[in-house]
This record gives sequence, C-alpha cells and structure tokens, in this order.
Amino acid sequence: MQLSSRSLFLLAAPALILFGVLALYPLGRNLLLSFFETDYGLEGAVFIGLDNYTRLLGDYFFNRALVNTVVFTVVSTLAEVGLGLMLALLVNRAIVGKRLVMPVLVLPYVLSTMVVTAIWRAWFNYENGFLNVSLKFLGLPGVEWLTDRNLAMWSLIGVDVWQTVPVAFLVLLAGLQSIPEETNEAARIDGAGPLRMLLTITLPLLWPHLLLATLLRCVESFKIFDKAFALTGGGPGNATSTLSMFVHQLGFRFFDIGRASAASIIMVVIAGALASVYAWQIMRSGDET
Amino acid sequence: MSCNRAENVIYLSFNANSVTGVVQTVAQTFISLMVSPMKLIAPIAVSLLALLAGSATAAEKIVVAGRDGVYADALKLVISLYNEAHPDAPVEQLSLPIDGLLQQATLAAREGVNAYDVIMLDDTWAPQFMSNGWLADLDALGGGLDEDFAKGMRDVSRWPVGTGTAYAVPFIGNVELFAYRSDLMDRPETWDDVLAAAERLNTDGMSGLVFRGKVANPIVSGFVPLLWAYGGDIIDAEGKPVLDSEAAVTALETFIKLADYAPTGVEAYDAAEVRTALQDGTTAMAIELWPSWAPDLDDASKSQVAGKIELIPTPGQVNPPAAMLGSWLLGIPANAPHPEDARAFIDFMTSPEVQKELALQTGTPPTRESVYTDADVVAKYRWYPGQFEALQNARPRPRITQWAEVETILGDFLQLALIGDMDATTALKEANARIADALK
Amino acid sequence: MRRSGGFIAGVLVYIGAVIALLPVLWLLRTAFEGTGGPLVKMPTLWPTTPTLANFSAVFTPEVMGKLVNSIIVTIGATLLALAAGFPAAYALARGGWPRQLDKLFLGAVLLLKLTPPIALAIPLYQVLRLFGLLDTLLGLIIVYQVYALPFAIWMLLGFVRDIPISYEEAAVLDGAKLGKRLSTVVLPIMAPGVAATAIFLVILSWNEFLYALLFIQSPSNFTLPTYIATLITEDQTYWGPLAAIGLVASLPVLALVGVVQKSMTRGFAGGLK
Repeated sequence: MQLSSRSLFLLAAPALILFGVLALYPLGRNLLLSFFETDYGLEGAVFIGLDNYTRLLGDYFFNRALVNTVVFTVVSTLAEVGLGLMLALLVNRAIVGKRLVMPVLVLPYVLSTMVVTAIWRAWFNYENGFLNVSLKFLGLPGVEWLTDRNLAMWSLIGVDVWQTVPVAFLVLLAGLQSIPEETNEAARIDGAGPLRMLLTITLPLLWPHLLLATLLRCVESFKIFDKAFALTGGGPGNATSTLSMFVHQLGFRFFDIGRASAASIIMVVIAGALASVYAWQIMRSGDET
Repeated sequence: MSCNRAENVIYLSFNANSVTGVVQTVAQTFISLMVSPMKLIAPIAVSLLALLAGSATAAEKIVVAGRDGVYADALKLVISLYNEAHPDAPVEQLSLPIDGLLQQATLAAREGVNAYDVIMLDDTWAPQFMSNGWLADLDALGGGLDEDFAKGMRDVSRWPVGTGTAYAVPFIGNVELFAYRSDLMDRPETWDDVLAAAERLNTDGMSGLVFRGKVANPIVSGFVPLLWAYGGDIIDAEGKPVLDSEAAVTALETFIKLADYAPTGVEAYDAAEVRTALQDGTTAMAIELWPSWAPDLDDASKSQVAGKIELIPTPGQVNPPAAMLGSWLLGIPANAPHPEDARAFIDFMTSPEVQKELALQTGTPPTRESVYTDADVVAKYRWYPGQFEALQNARPRPRITQWAEVETILGDFLQLALIGDMDATTALKEANARIADALK
Repeated sequence: MRRSGGFIAGVLVYIGAVIALLPVLWLLRTAFEGTGGPLVKMPTLWPTTPTLANFSAVFTPEVMGKLVNSIIVTIGATLLALAAGFPAAYALARGGWPRQLDKLFLGAVLLLKLTPPIALAIPLYQVLRLFGLLDTLLGLIIVYQVYALPFAIWMLLGFVRDIPISYEEAAVLDGAKLGKRLSTVVLPIMAPGVAATAIFLVILSWNEFLYALLFIQSPSNFTLPTYIATLITEDQTYWGPLAAIGLVASLPVLALVGVVQKSMTRGFAGGLK
C-alpha cells in the first residue's frame, strides 16, 4: 500500500513550509556567525575561523558546564523514564480513583517553570525552607540543598524529575494503551504470569515508546536553563552551570554573538550525538513494521 | 481542482464522528483554511491592517519601557499623576524583568524597531547605549541636567562621563549602603572595625554579618565596595585591569574571612535571604543594602528590628568611606516616535514634586538633593540624609561597555575563592587575565 | 493475587501522587497567605493569616487580558502543530520515501529541536520583522512551531507506527480512500497518542517565556508568563500574587488534561469490523 507522491507531498507540505521558513535562516545564520567575531550580526563582523570554537573548548568554565549538562541529562532522563514507566504500568491497571489520580500526577508539569523554581527555591532555603523546617521538626539536621557543592546538582535533578516525570508517564501510558488487549489476553491464556508478561510482551511492545520518551527527555534536559538559572545561578562555584546558561550569557549578556553561536553549535553537535542513538533506533524500528 | 481534492482528503480525515471529536472539528476548519490559502490570507491581512492601523491611530500615546516590581509601582504612580496633569497625553507602561528589559531595548535599538519613547536604563548599560548612539541627545531636546541632581548621577548620565552630552536623566538614586545594628554595636569606620564586631557578635542564633554570595551580580556587588575601601580597583584610569594588585588581594582575603561570620549557605544568598536575616534579627550587619530594602526594616509588621538598624556608606579602610552607585536612568531612544512628548514626561517624572511623592508613597530613592533634605521625607525615612551623603559621593562601576562580561568573570572567581576552591591570589590573577582578554 | 497486586499498585501510585501534590498544596497555602509570607517556622500547610487579597490582585483587566492572549496563542500553536504534524508524521511512516529522504527530514526536524532557544532568538526576531509579524499573536503562534512542530512530528510518528499496516490494508480492500482511512482507522487508534501530544503542545506554548518576552512589544499583547516573571524580581518575590496566578494559570491546562484523559485511558477496542 503506497501513497501516491502527490498525497505524500500534500501531507508533508505544511510541515515543510513552516520548517523551511522558520529553521533554515536561523540555523544557517547561527552556523555562519560562529566563525566570526561580532556583537550582533554580519555588519562589522570579523572573520576568525575556528577561533570561537577553540577558545570555548579550552575554557575551564565551558567544560565544567559541559560536564554538568551531560551528567544532568543522563541522570535525569534515566530517572524520569524509569519513574514514568513505573507510574504508567501502575496506572494502567484498574486501580481505584484512576480518573482523579491522573490530573494530580500531571500537575507538576502543568505549572510554569518559573513557579516551580520559585517554589523549590523557597523549599530548599536552609533556614526557613519547608524541607529543612520539616526535618528540624522531626529532630533531624537541616540539609544544604543548594549550597553544598556535591548536593546542588542532585537537588536540581530532583526538581527536574519532579516536574517532568509526567512527560514519560503520559507517553508510556499512551503507548501501553495502544497495545491491543487481545495480545494481553492471548498471553494470559497461555499462562504467563504478570512479571513474564511484563518482560516478554509489554516491554518489547513498548520499546519504541520508551525510546521516544528517552529521546524527548534527553533533548529537553540537555537544554536545561530556567531551573538552574533560577535555583542556583550556576553555583555554588559552577557546580550547576549548564551549557544553555553559557549560551544565554554569551549571547544576551555579553552580546558576543559569534561565540554564542559557536557554543550553540557545539551544543547541537553533542546533543545530536546523544539523541541520534535513540533517533536512529526509532527510525530503524520503523523499518521493521 | 487538485486543491479541492486535497481539501477533501484532509477534511474527511477529521470528520466529527471520530473519537477525538471536538478537537478534530476545529482542526478540520483550520486545515481547510490552510489548504486554500486565500481563505487564510484575507482574515490575516485584515487583522494585520487593523493592528497596524490601530497602532497608527494611537499617535499621541507614548510608551515607557520600565522595570518590574517596586519600580513598576513607582512608574504606575508617576503615570497616574501625569494623567491627572495632562489628561490628553496618554502614557502606556511596559513592565519587564531586568534581563528582559535589556534584551528588548537592545533588540529594538539594533533592529531599528521604534517601539518605545522612554526606557529605563541601569547605569551599567549606559556606556553601551550611549557610545553606540542609541539614545537621543537630551541637551539638544532642551533642558540638559539640573544641578539639583546628585553629582555622581549627573556624571554617569553624560557620555563621555561627566563632561559630554547628556543622554539620560537620573531617576532612581540607588546607592549601596551598609547596615548594622545600632543597639549591638557602634558605627564601624573601617573594615577592621567590621571584622572585630563580626567576631564579637557571631554567636549561636546570630551571625556576625550577612551578604549576597550568589554568583555574578550579587557577589560582585558585595565585594566591589570592599575592594575600593582597600584601595584596589577593577580597572585603572587607562582601562587596564588591576585586580592582581596587593590591595585587591588583601580585600579578597578580608572578604573570605568575613564569610566565617556569615550564615551557612551564604554562597547562594541573594537579596531575599539577606533581607530575611536582617528583618528576623539573626544578623548584626549586612555589608550590602539597597535603599528599596530599607523601608521594610522599620516596618514593625515585617521586621523584628524596627528602629534598630542604621544605614551608612560602606566603611573605608585605606580610602575613606564610599558607596557604590547602582542607579536607574531614563533615556529616550534615538528613533523614538515622540521625542518631545517623551522629554516632557521625563521632566515631569524627575521633577522635585513628583520625586517627593514617589519617595513618600513607594519608597523610591530620589535623585535630587532638595528632596533628600525635605522635612516631610526625612520624617518618614530617617536615614535619608545619610543616604544622600552616600549618593553624592557614590562611585559608579567601571564605565565600560563590557561590564556584564567583566562582572561575570569576577563573580565566577570570587565564588571559587569564597568556597575555598582557589586562594585569593590565584583567583584574582586568573580573573585579571580573563578580564584583560574580554576588554581587548 | 490479582486484587492484592492491584492494591499495592494503588498505594504506590498514591504515594507518587502525594509527592507530586505536596509542593502544590504549599503553593495553594501561599496563595491564601496574607502577611505570613512563604517561609515558615513549622511544617504546616495551613495559612497563618488567610486572605483572598492575592487573588483580587491578579484578577485585574491587564492580567486577564494576558491570560486571554495566552489562550489564543496556545490553542493556535497547538492546532497548527497538530494540523501540520499529523499529516507529516503519517507521510513519514507510510510514505515509501525515496532513498532515506524521510530519515533526513526527521533528522533535520530533530536538529531544530536540539538548538537552544536563545540561539534562534535574534534570527527569528528578524524573520518576524520581515513578515510584519513582530508584536502580534499570530507571529508567536508561528514562531512556536519551531519547537512544537518537531515535537508533534516525533511524537505522532511513534503512534502512527503503532497501527499495524494490516488494518489499513484491510480498509483499502474495503474501498476506503486515504481520507476515510485516516479518519476511521488511523485516528481512532491514535487517539491516546494524539491526546498526549496535544497536552504537551499546550503546556509547551502556555508556559513559553523567552519568545513571548522578546517578540512582543505592546503591553496589551503580552502573554501570561511575562507577567509571572515580573513577580520574581532580584529584590524580592511577590509570593502572594505569584502563587495565586500560578495556580490560576494551571487550571485551563488541567481542565484540558481532564477532558482529554478519557481518550487516553480508554481501553483499546479489539477488532475494528
């Protein structure tokens, strides 16, 4: 069953048009300007070849941001997809009050990031934050959530996980829902217990959705900016500085557009490498349908 | 004909009988609009024209782009006063977060989008805006700068600093002050006094002092006055960075020592934490305090220490006491639609009567000497005479276009030194090298 | 064994719900809190000085105007992304494209999503200016496609692939043309996926801040996130109004989740004949 190329074109046209208008110029400009030194655009720009790149890659702070971003991305993606899977599997079964529970589970993601970071910044406050006050109430010492150099990153990951588990949850739930009931029935009739069903039927069928959720979260986590900026500003001492913060700083504080473009190209390359693993898997699994 | 067929194809795919009913019906309408472009362009063109026409007929309205928070309240008050006095000259207010304001103003200037008539500028943005010619010449627009304005502020409103054309008018006299508990200690004249008092008063339940330790602007704002007090500076008269001087190192070492008497977590402290510490009475001194924080200190409903806090210019050491300037100016973009109306508005905003109203009603620090010494104002804010003294002699931060970058670099290394990752000498040497790079 | 397994599942889910809910309850408390402020000495979720003042501070014409703008932009951007993305995803899944062109398209789409928003801000500003769409809601709707469209295509692609091609082939044998196939076979099965995608697109646009801040100049055209940002200044955070508007702003999206979750959690009806 093939689509005629006319149908093909018509179906894809709107997306292609939007994409062309909105993406080609910005991406192209970024790439072009990354080889120049400029404080805005092409006028007055000085060509400096790969200088921006070499300076960035040799910069201690940039590399710190790079490491932080990769660590953050990997850990939070794994946590989010893992927890999302758990929740999706649990909610998928017939449990009491399912209708009520779903909006609640999705609630953290619905809140605007600004509100979320404001809440958690207040909660993490050492003296008066809800968390430490509760701990003190229980007789336990307060924790330096955002000021301990080793803990700050984990606190940041915690906030991100809290806010974005709903993403993986919804994607995987939708995926679980699209497994035909007859497949499950057939397996049950064959005598498979719940664990066996999970491992041999559910997860393999859910694999593309797991990949999708991982891809989506990976890409988003890599661009982390708002949370880190609002919670710690990148501190203490660069423990939570991220690549996006770097680009933002270069582009919109220092107006060093050349280097900002180079930094964003580096980001795209690295994120692309991370994402292409999943993307390739997803695209490949498509061929097997 | 092929257009119709495509339309049918997509129309049918979203018929209302499908499970995702309502959404699809709406989507179907949207799709059919998309496939036949004329149906789409017409309404868009009409609404665009209406929008453009709308903005054209609002010809007499001036747009003021300002800050959010207390500054927005101040601006709102000014606008309501202005509307009383000039009911035929409508003013629209834009409230933006500080970063957003800078980005908007810069983009508009770079792209030649003439959306604003008046913009609020932080004095650290002034060098870039003024040297790039993005602001209108205020001497030419008539009026210049009144001598009543504090000298420090008048200087930064001109480019070249102090002597050149006036490009801005001082609006908010923000100057960095030093706060201490007058019931617990005497007025510190030097930083040695500060250290001694901090050590003495640092006990369980009370910290000797508090400051903003968060990276970038907070920590730099806390450190720079200290640097100046010890005779150090960021860049010298020729524009060369001099952070590796002995004076600077001593200043940083003092700063680090002070942190011993500060609460846990001070490396992430920002305004909210410092203000809470002061108001709750859990600290004896705050080395950095901004005027907008002051009224709450004497407000018994919010503060445990009403009447017990004194505000003075930053103590001296090698140099006499000097406060750091952190003020807000008003400028008219070079391509503003209504420059004369904008000038009239600015003059109104910065007139003595309006400044007095602002001070009394919103606590906005004035920029005119006459207002600081006005009896009604001083009655309400007992620290104003001292604040004006600070403002008159305030030192601005370096007048360079790359201040944002310099501040970030300095902030990064100050943090590293503060948390003990680097010793003071290395931190300052590194910072100096990078700043030299940035200034090239 | 089934029942007890279901019970444990329920408990775990409720624990998760509590963790999700607790900060929100705190936010709720802060919205009704008068002078007490957000930081507390005791772990309590009840306001010390209950008041409605914060809500009256946000139910003003200006703020509500921004709410309306947000609604317009969000609905517009979501519909546009779905409308452009669904056909594209279907074409990519079923198309039989020549020589891996589909992979190229997908890859390019992903590339766009990988770029940090800041990097595209200035060029997009220039593009909008060129088309005279600066300071318009339509301009925002279109610019949001930069992130919404790749997202929609990737999400919907996965769900289109879920549909065994045999179902569609059966429909073809029944004489169904493309349009009929899409509406009677593909979409109904994809409903959970479309619903999930719609939720994300709505949230994406509803909370988007950077472009809404940069590409709009008139106060009357600003969207809600810009207003929320002005409540968090470097000097202080206006907790009362922030909590109030934060909660109010989440209601529309929550309502949407409630409406849409029906198609997300319905069982898959076996057999289509």
